[in-house]
Amino acid sequence: MCARMHGWYSCRLQSEMWRMAELLIQQGLNWITLGCIYALLAIGFSLIFGVLNVIHFSHGDVAMTAPFICLALATAFGATSPTWLVLALVIAILAVGLIGVVLDRVVIRQFRDAPAMMALVSTVALGIVIRESIRHLYPEGSNPHAFPRLVSGVAFEIAGVPVNWFALLVTVLTVVLIGLLFVFLRMTPLGLRIRAASEDRVVARMMGIRDGRVFRATFFIASAIGAIAGLLFASYAGVTRFDFGIMAGLLGFSAAVIGGLGSMPGAILGGLIIAGIEVLAQTFVPDGASYRLVFVFVLVIVVLVFRPAGLLGRPLMEKV
Amino acid sequence: MLELKDVDTAYGAVPMLRGVTISVRPGELVCLLGPNGAGKTTTFMTVCGVVKAQRGKVEVMGKDIAALGTENLAALGVGLVPEGRRLFPGLTVQENLRLGYDAVSGRGPDFEPQLEKMCALFPRIRERLRQAAGTLSGGEQAMVALARALIGEPKMVVMDEPSLGLSPKLIGEYFEITQEIHRHGTTVLLIEQNAEMGLGIADRGYVLVKGKVAQEGPARELLASRTARSLYL
Repeated sequence: MCARMHGWYSCRLQSEMWRMAELLIQQGLNWITLGCIYALLAIGFSLIFGVLNVIHFSHGDVAMTAPFICLALATAFGATSPTWLVLALVIAILAVGLIGVVLDRVVIRQFRDAPAMMALVSTVALGIVIRESIRHLYPEGSNPHAFPRLVSGVAFEIAGVPVNWFALLVTVLTVVLIGLLFVFLRMTPLGLRIRAASEDRVVARMMGIRDGRVFRATFFIASAIGAIAGLLFASYAGVTRFDFGIMAGLLGFSAAVIGGLGSMPGAILGGLIIAGIEVLAQTFVPDGASYRLVFVFVLVIVVLVFRPAGLLGRPLMEKV
Repeated sequence: MLELKDVDTAYGAVPMLRGVTISVRPGELVCLLGPNGAGKTTTFMTVCGVVKAQRGKVEVMGKDIAALGTENLAALGVGLVPEGRRLFPGLTVQENLRLGYDAVSGRGPDFEPQLEKMCALFPRIRERLRQAAGTLSGGEQAMVALARALIGEPKMVVMDEPSLGLSPKLIGEYFEITQEIHRHGTTVLLIEQNAEMGLGIADRGYVLVKGKVAQEGPARELLASRTARSLYL
């Protein structure tokens, strides 16, 4: 009798542990997928802040224009085949990169030598302009629009837990993009100039570096990477809305702040931490999905109190 | 090669330079002296075009700096050593030097031989090439800052208080190198506080006091001049 009871409990325990392991693997995959998307958003914030010393609050809104451009192009192309979809994606990414350059030229440039607060307020206003433009100019812009999973199906299984192609795509794409960005910044003349301008803009000019070119390149890269994050964000959610940019911006900015504004490794770390907190809250806190963002922003406050420069950021100094 | 004609500058409402007239002819080593707050760094920044002249004219290599812009100065053949070295601290020594080379020479293919020349001139740099510039000692940073200005073989070098914070031994070494550069035909404007050392190697000098040129003349005369001594030395 005792042995049978012991066997039953042991079996139950094993099954519970197995269920927990499956849950952990599943949530681990969610964490990596979301963390990668947030990291890509945070990289844009960090890159722009590092080079221009500007917090580009409309970066999330700029990023989230990509799914709308993509949908509009897909509709225009009558796209049903993967080739057309890929073409629409590529054009959307390039178009958002150019939008970033134009916004810098038209708006942010005007506040280059003004107090940081003015650029900040102008980018907040810019975000509103972008959202309202989408709402009014895109057909039925106030409504949510379905956005397809870029890839579907199961790639392989880990201990019986399916790993879908989308999670794999997001992870591989993020690793490749970060690698390319690293190579670009470390090994190309333009990358070297961007890094120099981010350290000392005045001396960079003394070294013949034209800051206009550096700023254009920075905005293009940050906005194009943001566009990729925006497309993945919409694809992950299966839907896009004109106001998704607010949340994308807040999460991306928070990730950049936690990691340390201006730090690329910090942006990646921040993205993973924010996604980790979100997933943990959703998984282990009763009704955690409803207020997962509370945990995220409490963490932001805690980091700002104890490490104002972020986890991997340089000590904050007024740039002169 | 360099001319400031009756230049006034100000930081907001605070006047800095008042009617400053300075000239540097090709092949000269000119020393601009002055105590703290005299306007030496403002003069440097005005020459670079970072600070705009409110009145008067600043011409470098015959071109108006206001129209030229700071970023085009290097391509004219002007190497700059700003106050406090201002290396890019997160970039390696080699990357700092690469930027200095590209600035003057464009993205030419001859960087490696020039780098080798700089390593021969400043042997301490060689073993630090892969190191982040911000991790170097003050003396090493001073050498890298000078090498960054020289690596593109500029026609003129403008230095702002290069001896600041250096040990007496290093100051001597630094001024020897400056003299050597000058001997090889590079025009030098040396902005300094160390009058004895500066005038010791200069052809001519200017004494700047409270934003005005108080005295000018051949370096030896300035060193011996009672007026200059009473003003500053």
